[in-house]
Amino acid sequence: MRLTSFLQSDNFSGWAFILPYLIAFVPLLLWPFIQGFWMSLHEWNLLAVTFNPAAKEFIGLGNYIRLMGGDDIGWSLQPMWPFRLVVSVLVVALYVRSLRRRAVGYSHHIMAGLTLFTTVILLGLTGDWYDTRFWIVVRNTLVFVAWVVPVTTIIALLLAIALNREGRWAATLRSVFFFSQILSVTVVTLIWQLVYGVRNGFIANVLAPFGIDSPNWLTDDQLAMGAIVAATVWWSVGFALILFLAGLQQIPGERLEAATLDGAEGWRKIVQIIVPSIIRTVQFVMIMQIVLHFQVFGQSQLMTQGGPGDATNVWVRYIYQTAFRDSEVGYASAMATVLFAFMMIFSVIQFWVTKRQES
Amino acid sequence: MRLTNTLTASALALCVTATGVQAETELELARFFGSCDDAGTDVSAAVGEACIIQTIINAYSAEDNGVTIETLPTDWGNYYDQLKAMYAGNSAPDVHVIHKSSIAEFASLGALMPLQEDDLRAAGINPDDWVDRARDAVTYDGQMYAIPMDIHANLWHINMDIMAEAGLVNDAGEPILPSSPEELMAHAKQVKDATGKDYLTADFAQFPIGVRMVLAMLWQQDSNVFSGDKATVNTPEAQRAVETIVGLFDAGYADPNLNYNDSQQAFLEGDAAIQINGTWMVDVYSSETRNDDSALASYYVADYPQLFDEAATWADSHTWALPVTLQNDPEKYEAALGFLAWLNDHNVDWARTGHLAVRQSVLDSAEYQNLAHRDEYSNTVNIARDNPPAARYSAIQDVLNRELQSIWLQGKGIEEALADAEREIHRLL
Repeated sequence: MRLTSFLQSDNFSGWAFILPYLIAFVPLLLWPFIQGFWMSLHEWNLLAVTFNPAAKEFIGLGNYIRLMGGDDIGWSLQPMWPFRLVVSVLVVALYVRSLRRRAVGYSHHIMAGLTLFTTVILLGLTGDWYDTRFWIVVRNTLVFVAWVVPVTTIIALLLAIALNREGRWAATLRSVFFFSQILSVTVVTLIWQLVYGVRNGFIANVLAPFGIDSPNWLTDDQLAMGAIVAATVWWSVGFALILFLAGLQQIPGERLEAATLDGAEGWRKIVQIIVPSIIRTVQFVMIMQIVLHFQVFGQSQLMTQGGPGDATNVWVRYIYQTAFRDSEVGYASAMATVLFAFMMIFSVIQFWVTKRQES
Repeated sequence: MRLTNTLTASALALCVTATGVQAETELELARFFGSCDDAGTDVSAAVGEACIIQTIINAYSAEDNGVTIETLPTDWGNYYDQLKAMYAGNSAPDVHVIHKSSIAEFASLGALMPLQEDDLRAAGINPDDWVDRARDAVTYDGQMYAIPMDIHANLWHINMDIMAEAGLVNDAGEPILPSSPEELMAHAKQVKDATGKDYLTADFAQFPIGVRMVLAMLWQQDSNVFSGDKATVNTPEAQRAVETIVGLFDAGYADPNLNYNDSQQAFLEGDAAIQINGTWMVDVYSSETRNDDSALASYYVADYPQLFDEAATWADSHTWALPVTLQNDPEKYEAALGFLAWLNDHNVDWARTGHLAVRQSVLDSAEYQNLAHRDEYSNTVNIARDNPPAARYSAIQDVLNRELQSIWLQGKGIEEALADAEREIHRLL
């Protein structure tokens, strides 16, 4: 009797629906994650532990201290001051504006607080860091994300608006732009290495008749990151494009017509009508990309090997090198856990933003 | 796991008995050197590292010896990461190639099978035939862990047409090479003035050829990047070595931005007089002289020139090792030893790539001595040098590569970069 009522309860159907996902999630994601965290609390050499399980040593938070700690830690206004100043002023201005409009909620307080804490306090920290390379790869990864995400979003949005129409040409072009998305990172980097090749590359061949030497796209310290960003934008624009097209088709035709009758054209129509109508899609695309591109690896590994110097070395590549080349899986797991925390922050922000809009 | 294995094995055994085919021992093999499509089994016709090694493997597999070898797909750049992951996942290949410089790391952690001299002799390998340097290459802490296949070193690959145009060829038809950093700059200027071309090209941007040049110039001054557990990178000798190379870049006699492929193309298209690269290119470049599309018509190979007090060039060895897990599988162990003996027998074929042979009997043979260009770099075997074994050698090399790149590609000060490298390497020792 009790069993029958349980089988008919919402509780049961709820569990039944998520069970297939849990079967994959628990052993393939949750368990390895817990194991990874456990490893991060140890001094753990990959090969040594394979041949002698007792070769690991529990060191508590030692790996995290080695990763993020330093000697003579202080605080100063000076590091990156133009960037910190601009962002701080911007945040305060936005915050004051929403206060005036009385459109301010929990998420506003927290986001403004977090951003100010980061720009004023965290970015002002100085010290003799134990692992200086870690901060270099963190900065490179942030720069990479800060370029790829907005550029991809804007290009994909404009393409989607242009291609959101009937007709054979639009359909063909939609497929063409989506095509890059189905390629693996190996193929993408191979294609772009052929494009960037200094001697026989595509760009070099285009420039040759004008007597211009090709820039050293992948080995010039000023260009390498940009070259990787361009390849990544090309690769990921298709995915964003499809999501935007789906979003655009949800906009009622009357709304666009009314806007046109009221004289909204070109940029004004895009900024004031189209983007607000699909703002949820825009947010989703951006958050997805932020989480995805924080994990950038293949482009850096295959196109520049992190170079020149450490100019294009990124977070996941540093994890990979530490774990496999240097065999320090404990330390690498600590880096991975910090990366996870970073991406978690962005996911939580998305969660808040979505929830606020629903209420 | 073991139960499943036993069951699978018995099932396989049943199938084999039923069809009346003799059971083959299957060996999994991991190697780098790149891939060779349709390699076949004709060792004598193969050109280049990938095809020569693959035909040697295929030929052994095709022999009626009860052993089949499966070559695992591995990638050059990530070979050691993959190998380590295979070991960590308890699925190490039954036989694999490994550099001399990596033996210390794998052997010190107990991953490699110690090889007993009696077993090698029983399989038909005579370790007494190996030159001392080769025997040292496979020995770690007094124990043998691999069999050597070659000694490979940095050479100067030379386009003689450009050298002749610049007046850098002597009456005997040999290139005139520098004997001091000052002369190096003078020759470079001579080439630039006479031909407008770069004096030398190499991958200074990604692959650690630049590191190997600096190391050679350190050894030539009786210095090194570390001794014992002390890093000695920031020294007057290292500054002289780096300044010599940077001098070429600053004067426009060499381009630091070219990667491996670009620098190779620059040499083949006749845009640089000299390429600095390893012994593995000798076979490839000498076959390119017969290719009408290539601007390389007259090719010469030279020992790395002595620019300072003594002669030295960077060198390493390719060797073959077995995983320690083969101890529990006598059948595979025997099959793997048989294959190692086959490789040892084909030492002269492998030497065709341009690498130096490791067996005295091969070095003395007419077949070896008649190989193309061999007499031009005969002294390399005497000046080949390497760092002492270090468990974290690849990480050390990476530090040097990064800091040197930051000097010539990012404009970092020489002293600052060397000091940073010294600090990081000190931590790794």
